[in-house]
Amino acid sequence: MNIINKILNVDDYYFDVFMSISEALTGFTVNELQSTGLAETYYTYVLKCLEAATFVEFLTVSKNILESSSGEEELKKAIQSEIIAHPGMNDISGKVITMWYLGTWEGAYINDLSYKEGLVWNLMHSHPPGAKQPGYKSWNIKPVNTQS
Amino acid sequence: MNPTHNKKDVIIVGTGIAGSLIAKLLSDHVFDATKGKMVHRADAGKSDNIREISILMYEAGLEAGIELDSVSSMTTYNEYIRTFYREEAKVPNSPYPNLKQAPSPNVLDMEHIVQPYPDKKGYLVQFGPMPFASDAIRVGGGTTLHWLGTTPRMLPNDFKLTEKYGIKIPKPDSDEKTAVDWPISYEELRPYYEMAEFEIGVSGDVSRQEYPITEKTEEYYGNYVFPMEEIPQSYMDHKIIEGLKGTSVKLSSGEIPLMMVPSPQGRNSIPNPKYGKTKVIKAEPKDSGYKLVLDSSEKEEYKALGSVWNPYMGERCEGNASCVPICPVQAKYNALKTLKKALYKMNDNDNLSRNLFMQIQAQSVVYKLSIDQNDSHKISKVHLRKYISKEKTDFVEESIDTSDAIVILAANAFENPKILLNSKYTTPEGVKTAANSSDQVGRNLMDHMVMLTWGLFPEPVYPYRGPGSTTNISSFRDGEFRKDFSAWISPLDNWGWGWPAFSPGSDVAYFIKEKHFGAELREKLTDRLSKQVLFHFEIEQLPNPNNRVTINDEYLDVLGIPRPVIHYELTEYEMKAMEQAKDASDQMFKRLNITDFTKYTAEDKNSVIYNGVRYSYNGAGHIVGTHRMGSKAEESVTDSYCKTWDHPNLYVVGAGNMTTLGTSNPTLTLSAFTIRSVESILADLEIQLKK
Repeated sequence: MNIINKILNVDDYYFDVFMSISEALTGFTVNELQSTGLAETYYTYVLKCLEAATFVEFLTVSKNILESSSGEEELKKAIQSEIIAHPGMNDISGKVITMWYLGTWEGAYINDLSYKEGLVWNLMHSHPPGAKQPGYKSWNIKPVNTQS
Repeated sequence: MNPTHNKKDVIIVGTGIAGSLIAKLLSDHVFDATKGKMVHRADAGKSDNIREISILMYEAGLEAGIELDSVSSMTTYNEYIRTFYREEAKVPNSPYPNLKQAPSPNVLDMEHIVQPYPDKKGYLVQFGPMPFASDAIRVGGGTTLHWLGTTPRMLPNDFKLTEKYGIKIPKPDSDEKTAVDWPISYEELRPYYEMAEFEIGVSGDVSRQEYPITEKTEEYYGNYVFPMEEIPQSYMDHKIIEGLKGTSVKLSSGEIPLMMVPSPQGRNSIPNPKYGKTKVIKAEPKDSGYKLVLDSSEKEEYKALGSVWNPYMGERCEGNASCVPICPVQAKYNALKTLKKALYKMNDNDNLSRNLFMQIQAQSVVYKLSIDQNDSHKISKVHLRKYISKEKTDFVEESIDTSDAIVILAANAFENPKILLNSKYTTPEGVKTAANSSDQVGRNLMDHMVMLTWGLFPEPVYPYRGPGSTTNISSFRDGEFRKDFSAWISPLDNWGWGWPAFSPGSDVAYFIKEKHFGAELREKLTDRLSKQVLFHFEIEQLPNPNNRVTINDEYLDVLGIPRPVIHYELTEYEMKAMEQAKDASDQMFKRLNITDFTKYTAEDKNSVIYNGVRYSYNGAGHIVGTHRMGSKAEESVTDSYCKTWDHPNLYVVGAGNMTTLGTSNPTLTLSAFTIRSVESILADLEIQLKK
């Protein structure tokens, strides 16, 4: 089930594009991204912060890449050549990655939740300082969520 | 007696740990007019002849910060936490109100100093040559709101550097040298350390404390256990200890064996059953004066004290990993806990009720004292400016008559000297400033120079978890080398490269810039962040009369009160310690196969070149020394009870009293001698109340 609210006057379709390209850029699955509870907030936030035309261009490029790449390798190469190698696109992709990883846009937190849900803490098997505390003595052992 | 009666027995300036400890201990005692003695409440009985001590405290911070009923304190504190979440630069002061009427020094304001022009960007006016790198916060509860909570005691030799190592420092504006021994010994302070550890609620294991001292643990600690069990050491600590255990490093002074010690800390763990019942700090009357003792209370078991608004919240450290700047559940001790015990006392029904003899007036910036030369130079007035609201800078000028009260300056080591230096009075010998016949007020400003080294451990050690630091290397805290260079303590830091390199944000930025994305980015970051280790070298600074706080009419805050003007520099003694510490770091990194990422550059705000090599350091937040205690009036501001030599009713307490800094975080030590000062204050009160 994929219920997406109509967001501003941009076609809903772009939200899915935003999530899919976020997945490819961050290395976190759409499900993981959704579980931050911030997907919609981030999407509308970027819409507000960037010129609509710029964001739409980024999403259009992303959409083409996502649609035309058949495998992961192909997608990676396409992102490299269409986004990373292109200064304007690369700037936006960097900002989007940072937003997911740290919860900030140009250095400022988007809201309280964005600080707490920065994905960087997940990948280091930690938690945002001052929130989502793991409990007494937890730091004494290897994090329980490590695979090894 | 009418509790709202205007006359106050004691006026305390500042609600930080020093002021709160005194308010709490004094308000636990009452004057028994029949006996003519101060007695502990518990022993006072129901005599009609009991007189309460009336106390008024002034706090420069906002009213909200000292409203300690459950609802208000929770509301205010949650506001601090929300601010912390949203601040990009999560520096020590970031959660707390930044007031223009009572500004706080902030590490973000520190700049390079291009002489002769001072850096005056923030609250401090810094003339250098080096910027003073530490901050403090002017808020209810003081800087304990953002302290780390590490509580090692000082070592016996720290109190007698002259006697032991022949260290002397120049007298102000003179080539003559003077001693730096404290007027009290470790031995004398030891019982008060125990009282401080009780009040703060220290977790630790005495049997695991290992220091380079000649005294045995039994002599150093006595037959003693900390109130609570040791805070578990981090996973990272274990990995580092495994790699370093049984080894030593070679310095210019010779081989030094490495001791990795679990740090005693002022944060809640599990109450130690061996500690026994909870205790009370009470004064035992002597023929002359009083002796404070830590007495077992039969009433209840020792319990960890949680947050100010809910004692059951924060009974254990829950690993929020944000001790600096804020513990969300107050498992880490802060002075508001002690302040609340002064404000609320148990009534006959064992319920807390508001102590009507204790008042706190917030938004009140004390800036000057008046001195009555016709009455043995007593402090006759305390002057303050009370501002109306956070937004407005209008203020009401107020003063309070203190001619028959005891005045206690309990602000931080910038503010106490600032107030004293601003209290001018004319005598036949010329213009003097309060408590300053020794010319030592504002001098000997010290801090620990925190040299950081950082690198990547060969395997994941999972930092960014747990209290800021749970282990320290204590090998360099004392030794013959102190004749030659500073001692230091080396805490291991559990928070990755956050401090020196702004990690993890800078790592994210770095790998994005390196054009990584997707799974590869995720892997690179995971690898880098789970292996980060950080070593500290907290280097002792000796008192130096030229390192000082002064004031100058050219630099005023918005209330028209002088800002602290700082002169600060390093000596070779300290720079050599940096060289030696870096050498020790290199040897330890090599042994642990740590890839060194340490980088000191000219852009660093605090950077020195010694023997052709650059070293950079940070402040430790250990602002001490500006109103030193001593055994002679000519060489110090106060005696060993923090009572000024010059004024019979003025005490100056806090970290500023420290004669030397040693290698421990200063809060525990300042708490110990501040508690001890209460013996003298009670004796003075007895005389006052008998009148």
